[in-house]
Amino acid sequence: MLPKAAAIDETPNRSTAAAGIAAPAVRVESVSKAYGDIEAIRRADFAVAEGEFLSILGPSGCGKSTLLMMVAGLLGPSSGRVVIGERLVDGPRADIGVVFQSPVLLPWRTVMENVMLPVEMQHLPREAHVRRARELLAVTHLEEFANRLPRELSGGMRQRVSICRALVIDPRILLMDEPFSALDAITRDEMGQELLRLWQIHRKTVIFVTHSIREAAFLSDRVIVMGRRPATIVADVRIDLPRPRALSIEETEPFNRYVRTLRQAIEANHAH
Amino acid sequence: MPTKLKDLPVWPVVFMLGFLLVWEAVVDLYKVRPIILPAPSQVAVALAQRWDVLLTHLLPTLWLTVLGFALSVVGGIGVAILVTYSEVLRKGLYPIIVVTQVVPKVSIAPLFIVWFDTGLVSSTLLAFLVAFFPMVINAVVGFHIHDEDLLRMARAYMGSRWQIFLKIRLPNAMPYIFAGMKISITLAVIGVIVAEFVASQEGLGYLIKLSGGLFDTPLMLASIVVLSAMGLALYGIIAWAEKRVIYWQSVPGAEAAAAPA
Ligand SMILES: Nc1ncnc2c1ncn2[C@@H]1O[C@H](COP(=O)(O)OP(=O)(O)O)[C@@H](O)[C@H]1O
Ligand SMILES: [Mg+2]
Repeated sequence: MLPKAAAIDETPNRSTAAAGIAAPAVRVESVSKAYGDIEAIRRADFAVAEGEFLSILGPSGCGKSTLLMMVAGLLGPSSGRVVIGERLVDGPRADIGVVFQSPVLLPWRTVMENVMLPVEMQHLPREAHVRRARELLAVTHLEEFANRLPRELSGGMRQRVSICRALVIDPRILLMDEPFSALDAITRDEMGQELLRLWQIHRKTVIFVTHSIREAAFLSDRVIVMGRRPATIVADVRIDLPRPRALSIEETEPFNRYVRTLRQAIEANHAH
Repeated sequence: MPTKLKDLPVWPVVFMLGFLLVWEAVVDLYKVRPIILPAPSQVAVALAQRWDVLLTHLLPTLWLTVLGFALSVVGGIGVAILVTYSEVLRKGLYPIIVVTQVVPKVSIAPLFIVWFDTGLVSSTLLAFLVAFFPMVINAVVGFHIHDEDLLRMARAYMGSRWQIFLKIRLPNAMPYIFAGMKISITLAVIGVIVAEFVASQEGLGYLIKLSGGLFDTPLMLASIVVLSAMGLALYGIIAWAEKRVIYWQSVPGAEAAAAPA
């Protein structure tokens, strides 16, 4: 199936229905957020299917982090609500893993101890999770660094540790806030591929925030485009590219058509 | 890390020896009377011959310094925790602490004598008061997490307040707490000595004052040498512990400026 301009759903309120999805894992229902006088989000409405890789794409300052933090239960909406499974989100949940723009590792903890932090905080059985942590570190090529301190790692390695930390508790949902934007372009491409590999294995529901059009198109099943102030969802694009995806897909015409579609959606919003 | 020979401060030692030699030569050449300025060799003789007197007066000074310092560490960290977690205290009390640290604390010594008479309580209290402020201020800075994402991460993984304190704020504060302790220990020595100047019958401060009154300048300088050695040793212990506790930092944390004693 090739993408057409019509793939942009101009009425995001119906995006779930349009996508023909079964039970949504996350529902964002008419969520608005204001910081004092600043209206950060205006009536965001979308749903994410179980196991779906969704990207939220938009220029910086448009409210992507705000939206993601509301899904994580770290920030309360001014109005509207977020529902995960059947439960209203009113605070942090044990079944969500979060990855931030910076790895936010604790410098006094080794790689392994950092990965185990959520396990400690949630009082989960240690043995089983150490094993799981080891597996994750192996998959992300960090095995030999398990006992190193973060300062001994490169930026890309640190962010991989923070992804392992998010996955160690086997969350249903993985929230990622521009996790690769502080990395150089080459590392960033590698990390994207690695993330997809992990996602093929674990099949989490992912909400991935980015301001990179190519990154969104490469990773996602679906991309939501957010416009500048007042931040609303201006487009909802399904990315029908085959998986597993390799970097070479970025050379293909279908991929570049998606990139154009997304860029047009952003620029259309800029124009007015 | 074991100290290697090349890590030893060779140049400062060379300069110090040179200084002492010049001092010795000047006293010898101009026949300066020991009451005015004893030669280093005469101070050394006083150290060797009067070690029992010096030791007798060293012990109370050492004990009160450690006591006052320990109180300031416990009290300083305690108040810092309160200020960190209570918005009322942060807005009401903390600015007062920051401003009052400018007050020269030793000027309050006579008041302590009025209240508590001379001796142990006054000395300990003055040492505590002088050493307290850098502890509070450093610990408050240390307990504050600048990186908002770090706190969000901890909350996202369901960390309780207590877990966040123990696993994040406290280790984060350790470099600052040690920086504060290094300032505080030096100030605690000053606090005790000043208290002993004005209100004591024992201690190195008392001995310095007494030997001055007796025109026994060699003993006075010997007391100062012992006092300096004590201060250096206490500082060294803290610096040694710091290296072991804060293993994750290759460069030492920012040190806050010392408050006026
Ligand atoms: N804690 C806050 N207080 C006030 N304004 C904020 C706060 N956090 C974000 N904002 C504002 O809300 C808007 C959206 O911010 P954010 O969600 O961080 O955007 P993005 O992640 O897309 O860059 C910005 O204009 C920002 O200045
Ligand atoms: Mg952001």
